[in-house]
Amino acid sequence: MELSLSTYDSGDHTVLEVGGEVDVYTAPRLREKLVELVETGARHVVVDLSRVEFLDSTGLGVLVGALKRLRAVNGTFGLVCAHERLLKIFRITALDRVFSLYDSVAAATAAVGSDAEPTA
Amino acid sequence: MAEVGTTVDLRNRRLGLSAGERIRVLLIEDDPGDAFLVQELLAEADAPFDVQVAQTMREARPLLREVHCVLLDLGLPDASGLDGLRQVLQDAGRVAVCVLTGLEDEHLGTAAVAEGAQDYLVKGTVDGTGLSRAVRYAVERKRADEQARLLRESELRQAESARLERGLLPKPIMAGVEADLWSIYRPGRDRGLLGGDFFDAIGADGTHLHLLIGDVCGHGVDEAPLGVALRVAWRALVLAGVPEDHILDSLEQVLVSERRSDELFATVAVATVNLAEGTARIRLAGHPPPIVIAGDRVEPCAVRPGLVLGVMPGVPRPATEIRLGDPGWQLLLYTDGLIEGGAAPDAPGGERLGIEGIVEVLRDRGGALPRDLPAWLAAQAEGHNGGPLSDDIAVLLLDPRSTA
Repeated sequence: MELSLSTYDSGDHTVLEVGGEVDVYTAPRLREKLVELVETGARHVVVDLSRVEFLDSTGLGVLVGALKRLRAVNGTFGLVCAHERLLKIFRITALDRVFSLYDSVAAATAAVGSDAEPTA
Repeated sequence: MAEVGTTVDLRNRRLGLSAGERIRVLLIEDDPGDAFLVQELLAEADAPFDVQVAQTMREARPLLREVHCVLLDLGLPDASGLDGLRQVLQDAGRVAVCVLTGLEDEHLGTAAVAEGAQDYLVKGTVDGTGLSRAVRYAVERKRADEQARLLRESELRQAESARLERGLLPKPIMAGVEADLWSIYRPGRDRGLLGGDFFDAIGADGTHLHLLIGDVCGHGVDEAPLGVALRVAWRALVLAGVPEDHILDSLEQVLVSERRSDELFATVAVATVNLAEGTARIRLAGHPPPIVIAGDRVEPCAVRPGLVLGVMPGVPRPATEIRLGDPGWQLLLYTDGLIEGGAAPDAPGGERLGIEGIVEVLRDRGGALPRDLPAWLAAQAEGHNGGPLSDDIAVLLLDPRSTA
């Protein structure tokens, strides 16, 4: 299964749609894309994981890296993740307490920039 | 106690010629007269050669990787002497090279062979048969050198894996604790080196056993050495009698100070098992929970998830006290490789085996002996996945010896 990446702007936010499998083979491309977004000035980044089939620990590492990068520049980083299968991974690793998780892009873009509570 | 297999497959590395294949030769020669002569000589030999000619190094460069053998004149307008050879070897390290020298600079030929050319020929002293033989020998010699180099690399990798294996999978210190530990470690598919799974066990005062299992997550080569560092750090902390409350914090500090990238982190499960009472204090740092096996009862320990190591140092990870049951229980620790494979070869939407899946598998374990259970589980996980798993798997089974 391939990784698909596409971005669009939504107000102040840059939404990165990810699809397919994020694993040890495809994670480097996700990292590159996230680094590029921050380097080209994106400060409020929402990663939409709705169409991700599988996310392994390397992929989680990339997301943690992006979170740190954005915090370092006073940016925000939200994840859209509605599927139980993916939420389970965030719960086991307790990263659900580190990331702001939302159940839709609308909820993420509405909350980012404020300290609103995650919805998922 | 551990099974580790690392192999490097040479079969897919096609080197040299297959039977009946024509030899593609690139002649790099700026003198049209000499070029014509060499082409005539090769034609005269009536050998299966396809010859292309380039007059400069710049013209030759895009063609270097397409050919088996380069015949290189050492007096090109854009690369004189051995400089031309160095450029060819740098751009196409796998191509065989025969250099062409004049009578007056034959010494350059020997120097070229010392620098990596397969052979040299003195223009005007060789006939068609000699030239064609030199080309074939050069291609064969290069192929043999490449095979030897790959073999050497694979031997080095295996030696490296063996060293890391010893570091990642130690001899447990049982210190009089009456229990067996059964384990396996399988490196993931497509890997020459071990990944970063590790485990350890230290007994104390005949009834307590400290257990550790973990997985360094990140990219490639840094994982296994970091896994060794964390295991040894844990062992030192436990042996030094550091209170359990501080062990994961200290381990996290070791991780943060030893890692080379911010994206490297580790998941860990630690348990202090009281064999006399049949209880365990378990802490998790982003790791899937151990599973208690006792007859028909197969259940993941209900331990509150704690944050993976290396993300936000200093977050507390309180222990959960688990009752393991009456004698006859076993405790299974594993890394996520065991549960991240597919749920079935044709599972829709990439469904994974997961903790629930492995619990189901364990319920159907039949008469599998404890000593065989780790390998049996790994085989079941591979079966569900429909082939080798991509991630490493470590499985550790604590099996107290019944005193009854």
